[in-house]
Amino acid sequence: MISSVPLAHRRTLFASVILFALSSLPAHADQWTTPTQEELSMTSQAGAPGAPAVYLFREESTVDHLHMYSEYVRLKVLTEGGKEHANVEIKYVAGGDMGYSVTDIAGRTIHPDGSVIPFTGKPYERMVVKAQGFKQKSKVFTLPDVTVGSIIEYRYKIRWEDNMYQAPYWIIQNDLYLRRGHFSWFPTDRLLTTNDERGQLASTVAWTPILPAGAEVKNTQLPGSNLTHDGSTQIDLVVHDITPSLEDEYMPPISSLGYRVMFYFSPYRTPEEFWKGEGKHWSHVRDKFIGPDKGVKAAVQGLISPSDTQEQKLKKIYAAVEGLENTDYTRERSRTEEKAEGLSSVHTTDDIWDHRRGSSDQLAELFVAMARAAGLKAYLMLVTNRDRTLFLKNYLSLYQLDDDIAIVEIDGKERAFDPGSRYCPFGHLAWKHTDSAGMRQTEGGSALAGTPSESYQASGVIRVANLKMDETGVATGKVDLKFTGAPALKWREKALTDDNETVEREMKEQVERMLPGGMDVKVLSIDKLEQYEEPLAVSLSIKGPIGSSTGKRLLVTGDLFECNSKPTFTHEKREMAVFFPYAYNARDAIRINLPPGFQVESVPADKEVKLAKSAAYDIKATADGSGVTIRRNLLVGEIMYMANTYPDVKAFYSQFEAKDQEPVILKVAGATQAATSVEDITLPATKSQKP
Amino acid sequence: MTQAILFRFAFQFSILFLLGVVTQRSALAGKDSVPDWVRAAARQSLPTYPATTNAVVLLDETTLTVGPDGHAVRRHRRAVKILRQAGRDEADVFVQFDKESKILALHIWSIGPDGHEYAMKDNEVLERGYDGAGGLYDDARYKMALAPGRDPGGVVAYQSEQRLPGYVSEVDWHFQENIPTVAESFNLELPPNYTYGAVWAHAKPVAPIDLEHQHYRWEMKDVAGIDLAHVPMHPSGRALEGRLVIHYSGPGMPLVTGSTWQSIGEWYQQISKDRLVASPEIAAKASELTAGKTDFYDKSEAVSEFVQKQIRYFVIEMGIGGWQPHPAADIFKNRYGDCKDKATLLSAMLSTVGIHATLVLVDTNRNAIDPDAPSMFGNHMIAAIEIPKGYESPKLKSVVTAKTGRRYLIFDPTWEKTAFGQLEHNLQGGYGVLTEGADSQVIQFPVLSPMLNTIHRSASFQLQDDGSLKGNITEKRFGDVSEMRRDLYTSGNAKEQQEFLDHSLQQDFTSFKVADVKVENVESLNKELTTTYTLEAARFGKTMGPLLMVRPRVFGRQDFDLNHEPRTVPIDLRQTMQVQDDYSIDLPAGYVVDEIPDPVSVDMGFASYTSSSKMDGNTLRYTRTYTVRELTLPAERYGELQKLASVISNDEQSSAVLKKK
Repeated sequence: MISSVPLAHRRTLFASVILFALSSLPAHADQWTTPTQEELSMTSQAGAPGAPAVYLFREESTVDHLHMYSEYVRLKVLTEGGKEHANVEIKYVAGGDMGYSVTDIAGRTIHPDGSVIPFTGKPYERMVVKAQGFKQKSKVFTLPDVTVGSIIEYRYKIRWEDNMYQAPYWIIQNDLYLRRGHFSWFPTDRLLTTNDERGQLASTVAWTPILPAGAEVKNTQLPGSNLTHDGSTQIDLVVHDITPSLEDEYMPPISSLGYRVMFYFSPYRTPEEFWKGEGKHWSHVRDKFIGPDKGVKAAVQGLISPSDTQEQKLKKIYAAVEGLENTDYTRERSRTEEKAEGLSSVHTTDDIWDHRRGSSDQLAELFVAMARAAGLKAYLMLVTNRDRTLFLKNYLSLYQLDDDIAIVEIDGKERAFDPGSRYCPFGHLAWKHTDSAGMRQTEGGSALAGTPSESYQASGVIRVANLKMDETGVATGKVDLKFTGAPALKWREKALTDDNETVEREMKEQVERMLPGGMDVKVLSIDKLEQYEEPLAVSLSIKGPIGSSTGKRLLVTGDLFECNSKPTFTHEKREMAVFFPYAYNARDAIRINLPPGFQVESVPADKEVKLAKSAAYDIKATADGSGVTIRRNLLVGEIMYMANTYPDVKAFYSQFEAKDQEPVILKVAGATQAATSVEDITLPATKSQKP
Repeated sequence: MTQAILFRFAFQFSILFLLGVVTQRSALAGKDSVPDWVRAAARQSLPTYPATTNAVVLLDETTLTVGPDGHAVRRHRRAVKILRQAGRDEADVFVQFDKESKILALHIWSIGPDGHEYAMKDNEVLERGYDGAGGLYDDARYKMALAPGRDPGGVVAYQSEQRLPGYVSEVDWHFQENIPTVAESFNLELPPNYTYGAVWAHAKPVAPIDLEHQHYRWEMKDVAGIDLAHVPMHPSGRALEGRLVIHYSGPGMPLVTGSTWQSIGEWYQQISKDRLVASPEIAAKASELTAGKTDFYDKSEAVSEFVQKQIRYFVIEMGIGGWQPHPAADIFKNRYGDCKDKATLLSAMLSTVGIHATLVLVDTNRNAIDPDAPSMFGNHMIAAIEIPKGYESPKLKSVVTAKTGRRYLIFDPTWEKTAFGQLEHNLQGGYGVLTEGADSQVIQFPVLSPMLNTIHRSASFQLQDDGSLKGNITEKRFGDVSEMRRDLYTSGNAKEQQEFLDHSLQQDFTSFKVADVKVENVESLNKELTTTYTLEAARFGKTMGPLLMVRPRVFGRQDFDLNHEPRTVPIDLRQTMQVQDDYSIDLPAGYVVDEIPDPVSVDMGFASYTSSSKMDGNTLRYTRTYTVRELTLPAERYGELQKLASVISNDEQSSAVLKKK
């Protein structure tokens, strides 16, 4: 939801407005509050069991004509952990034309018996960062004699330069329970211009509220008029009993979207206007960079042949862009370094091609330019990264958008590409760019759009072990891993940001963690690290104990690759939806050849488990005269399960995770047959999106 | 945790601005050239290093020039060559300073892998405070720069000149770090009539070259790096890395440290003695706390626990305040302070009830302080409470007898979950500087008995024939092994507490329910922290045809991960302790035991492990005892540790086999 109020214009009766503006300031913010007996004696907060502290009251106020923000806090310490809230740090930009100052810091501590200890110290001013005339500092103070049961009370003001106006951003929900909160803004009536290169007239005050039911931002037209633009509007929000932000494993990326209100001075009156106007400008600016100009055009001519199909052309272009250095995985060069290399400044995609390197976004733009140069319809899209947050149409800010991807029409059908994600296969997206949304270019403009999802077939791991066990239960053999999609991309990116040695060491450590303890693992080879259209293949040798002896038996975990796995979901209840990064498949095959005299007494019974139509698991163990073979398949086709389906999700995972731990029981008896091995596993050819 | 109030607009602006700084970095650079010493360092041929070596220090040269008034200036040259992509960070330039140690000059150069030379401008150097590192009141800052050409094959060099604080007369030359060094040196330039002393920590002494006129030079070549990044159970790098400690003194210096522990202690007492004075309010509180108590232990305990629990800890380090405590009266009034403040207040309070206590400089990394190298090196302060002559009590555990024959109870009022009378495990076996005037000396802390650091898990379960398990669990913890849980149950919220228990049970059960959780003695450090709850675990027993497999060691893991790499550094076993598990499982009707795991008994000297599974009627009983007796082992005993790890891992995974009648 978005709300907006056009700014009022000139008022009359200067004196009365001033008077009202002053009188409408929260008067009690300059006074301390006498605690109630309940506040003094409380030891816990309903709705926040075991909470270290609770906000009894929090007030934020922004008064534009005073160029001032103030905060007033009353906080009750409930446990030892809550005492940390006695340390307060206020960060601000200091000095210069855009500088702020922190003033009027005051505070006190109230003990449960009502005794008051005022803060009489001087706040310490600390340098946070200083560079090229920019300084960020913090004011630090500590409230005295804070014990469990104390009420901490403090306030301060932040002031800024007269020529600056900034819309507030109220964060209502954080890690502490809020009993009562009051947030207010007295926006200026002045006609403002944005401080970007366009200098647009910001005639509207707008806001995006994310609030609990019943909480509402109130806009009050103040009586009187205002010759000095001191403000004829008061915007308020009163909230109560706000629970702390939820944090959970496998939760959607909404931790940055707790209850809040985001305000803006805006040249636009509606979200539609905003996205249309900003999108048009963004698209225009990007097109100026993209071109294509003659350098890119010439390069494309050298890459493609007229007889190529559209897809063939694009594949060649994609490969060429993927072959460039992506500086997001290495490092951006300074202008000095570029000069030293004889390279010009970057103004267009010609320069990116000429430099043979660029950031992820620059490479996506180059890809679009080259596709256009090849005669294809190609567009840039700016997406919200799903590993960070979700796209909100009603949040009128381009800051919520992260990365560039490309959309290209091939044979009349638009497809998405991710040339900025180095080693992402042609026609696929890095998972953080899938199932998301953002702003894209269109013919002559821009539009909001979603990004495609990826099938479980696109991402997966195949694990194959061929082992020979000796009489002591020590197995020797080879493990082959094949990674596709997101897991492959993760390892390939690791090789870029670090190097092959790091990949080798971390791969070895990962396999060691997977297998039974004490296993000696050596990486034999890592292949196809750079061949992004093919699975990443890793071979390892392993040697070590794979089972536990009971005397006359040896118990071996059926799927060795899962023997150290822990349950995914343990909590009985869940308030948040379950959210996985990507759909995936995992396929295992393990062959254990037994030494003479060993026999398979029992293997886990075959089992299939399904979660509606979105996930499936099966395991099958077969024993023969020479050993045992275990095959396991897990397919997860959805990335999100709503909270009300959690019992089913948990049951699915619990069932197969318990099944994974069932042992193969071996015992000493009889002669064995010749050793055999399992072949590599290939996924069945299917176009199904769901298992 | 510090509550950080972020002025959001300011923050957003700063981030954008910093990005701008990074992207425009070096834009103003003019014609660059690097000094000859950098070129020479870059030109030299290098030994062959393993492919995993991140970077190498080509040259590290420190010159300390002491003026006639005793003030010193340190000039430092350093050149680092990046060997692999992951080693780029090793070439980041960081020079720390504060208001007492001003940077007089800093020049940074680099040579890219393509041979291009760069010189950075002053305005390309960032200055930062230690943001978010826990030091809310910390005036330490650093200048930081990311030089051009910092790619594999590139060389980054800098030269700094820095005035040292006037209140110290010691300088430590850390000649060993996590990456190898080709050549390094330390130069000492003293005025006439000045003398110096040199001691070596964790290293064999190297004689200086006498350059005449009070100039001395120590040189090192091809010093190996100590890279502990992937070494399990390793000691702290501070306990391994070699350093040279120089103390200098002369007629212009009023307060100096020398190459004796006595001088270190005396120096510290000089700067702290005024801070130890007790105010009337302190005396009144100490009197109130000890009212009715006559026994030394009881009085000390009452005062110590007050300081331990009621004085809130956080770091306050500004200038000499990094060394000098605040006045005891201020600490008492504000009820907060850092480690030296807490030890100071404890000493002041005890002095008012007739108990002598003094301060002990320590390092929280065991063996970082080398007893053969008197130095101010350390990062923590604790208290030594003098035990009256002839006083004996079994409650006194962490006792040290000084060379004077005086006995001290060592106590750390900052460690909030270590019981009075004991000492946290990371200090045990290590060294500290007892500040006791002319009797100041280095002391070694005792290694406490495993019986003071214990886990005792007991449980009785009923197993159903579908493999599900039900039972009551009691877990008792005493000593440092209870620290994290005590902290969780005093400071964590209900969700965090539940998640912790779930995650610990997740190690042993795939599906479970916990109920009736009760935790006792959370704040009573001298009592066992006792957690009780009921557990229901589905599919605990694995049905395999007519067989039912059951793990007698139902829950609680003590196994640990080691690697198969050759061991070169000593082993740190972390803490002495004893773990006892005692479980009973009532088996389902209709099953008989076909096999139970064999008993296990190994004693490696430094640790022992025994376990036993027995049938008692229809009940399977499992008991085990795991005892760690020592804190450190030489690298040569890594094989024994691997064997112990294997024994524990095997035992923990062992199963009993039940068979249908």
